Amino acid sequence: MSNPLSIGIAGAGLSGRLLAWQLAKLGHRITLFDKDQREAGDAAGFTAAGMLTPYAEAEAAELPIYRLGLRSLELWPSLVQELGSVRYQSRGSLLLAHAADYAELAQFNAQLKHSIEPSANQQQHLDRRGLHQLEPELCEHFDKAEFFPEEAWISASDCMQALARQCLELGVQWLEHTQVEEIGEAFICARQRHQAHAKQQPEQAPQQHGEALRRDFDWVIDCRGTGAKSEWKDVRAVRGELLWVQAPAVNITRLVRLMHPRYRLYLVPTGKDDIYIIGATQIESEDWSPMSVRSALELLSALYSLHSGFAEARIVKMDSNCRPALKNNLPQIQVHNRVLRINGLFRHGYLLAPAVAEQVLAVIQKQKVCNTHSAIDSIVSNV
Amino acid sequence: MWTLADKTIKSRLLIGTALYPSPQIMVDAINASGAEVLTVSLRRQNPEQGGGQEFWNYLKELNLNILPNTAGCHSVKEAVTTAQMARELFNTNWLKLEVIGDDYNLQPDPFALLEASKELIAQGFEVFPYCTDDLVLCEKLVEAGCRILMPWGAPIGTGRGLTDPYALKVLRARMPKDITMIVDAGIGSPSHAVQALEMGYDGVLLNTAVAKAADPIVMARAFKHALEAGRLGYEAGVMPEKDLAAPSTPTLGTPFWHQNK
Repeated sequence: MSNPLSIGIAGAGLSGRLLAWQLAKLGHRITLFDKDQREAGDAAGFTAAGMLTPYAEAEAAELPIYRLGLRSLELWPSLVQELGSVRYQSRGSLLLAHAADYAELAQFNAQLKHSIEPSANQQQHLDRRGLHQLEPELCEHFDKAEFFPEEAWISASDCMQALARQCLELGVQWLEHTQVEEIGEAFICARQRHQAHAKQQPEQAPQQHGEALRRDFDWVIDCRGTGAKSEWKDVRAVRGELLWVQAPAVNITRLVRLMHPRYRLYLVPTGKDDIYIIGATQIESEDWSPMSVRSALELLSALYSLHSGFAEARIVKMDSNCRPALKNNLPQIQVHNRVLRINGLFRHGYLLAPAVAEQVLAVIQKQKVCNTHSAIDSIVSNV
Repeated sequence: MWTLADKTIKSRLLIGTALYPSPQIMVDAINASGAEVLTVSLRRQNPEQGGGQEFWNYLKELNLNILPNTAGCHSVKEAVTTAQMARELFNTNWLKLEVIGDDYNLQPDPFALLEASKELIAQGFEVFPYCTDDLVLCEKLVEAGCRILMPWGAPIGTGRGLTDPYALKVLRARMPKDITMIVDAGIGSPSHAVQALEMGYDGVLLNTAVAKAADPIVMARAFKHALEAGRLGYEAGVMPEKDLAAPSTPTLGTPFWHQNK
């Protein structure tokens, strides 16, 4: 590295960590500011299910999500290899509907065909026999499925931990319990709370006590997500709820999505201890409270309808979080002199983060994004 | 122009605000539809704790009439509480009253609906009841003080159109002229909306047909035209159906033995 830069990153969620790691690998000096501790916090990246499913998402999301998602799907395997000890599965995903809801499948296919027209390698229509070959236990309730062989899954918890480990190994200065108070051209002002006061309290006004600090940098990157709301008017929080069950009586190995007229269920087999992640609701509300009974009922009854073996599963964890979205539900990178602001990864954090990071790196390194997809969307805007 | 409750508006489309790919597409679709009434749900947003504000601000910025709804409510009490919250949040006494009886197809519970209507009208609400096409239920809602009725075309989100046109026709004919009638739910394609308006319905309320279309903005425009076409058709007077095709011009020159066929 001929010209190492000093870079301050506000927010140690998935984007903040990924950028800190990648920039540190390039030899830059990184300081990471985060209001929480390294192991846990409010970041949506801790709660996410980690689905890397650009095709299945293309039904409800816009094309840039699909194209950035495909790019991430290319990037993740080598990132995961470098990170080490991150569970990653690329066995594809299945999309199902109960017979009464076949119209949902038809609508999904019509929508997908309208937006991306997947090839036969990208999407396969499975009949009962085809489904039986892949996931025999799903044949209890289902006669057909859509199969997306390229789709994958990454363990969000493994990834968050591994990124932290790598950052520390590369000498990233990680300021925990440090609430960013101001981001300006080439500086960050923050307040470091004493450990005694450092409890997780979302949406709390910056505490007056604690040590004020100001650092100057060559570049400043704001990755605070919903934490950047006061400075980015269009950022809003969208609630999502997930639950974790342990189901020894169930043997499903691929990602599953269940279509339903009113809600969508997905199931992520984590491949460890019979744990499955079930999600997710999407509620237009900045609501950090625990999961509602209504949501739990919806998710669990849909889960049971997938496989009767879930009846005796144990609910290990329920979680809710708020994801940062922009008005168009697309990610954006705002560049203003030496300040970069990244936001709007919404419910696609893991699906988008590597592709978004690639564009951030290109801005900082003053390079063009090098990629094999000529049609990839630039989400960089100079403001 | 026509009158809906106490407002004079132009568009006969009432549009929902759920299920769009993004708030931006929702806003663009609403603008393209020309709708002046937006229905909004709040039950799941945790409004007691101030949730939902950011999303609702997008709607408030449009400066249209907001029709809060009680979607997701299963009892009179729940509907009444939600209605009171809605009145405070959106500063309107308009309310689309939805009390669900069957969870699978979101069929309204007619008994709870009637009871909740009475209660809310007593509290000063302008109740827009989401009901079935049952004549007796509709009569009782009118007796209870409803000035607007919103019978379904088909269950919510099915897009099946007017599954019982006969019942809807009878209902329109039997209800007093001054009752505003809107087909709510079940509309899938623009032609369904045309059909409802040709029957003399004052408007339609829909959501999924636009929000889940491959291109919601273009579909919103299609509905805008459909409502105009349907209303003009009604005003112009649709010709009655006949059993035999009658030529519109005399068939001079056709031999009489062919004319008798």
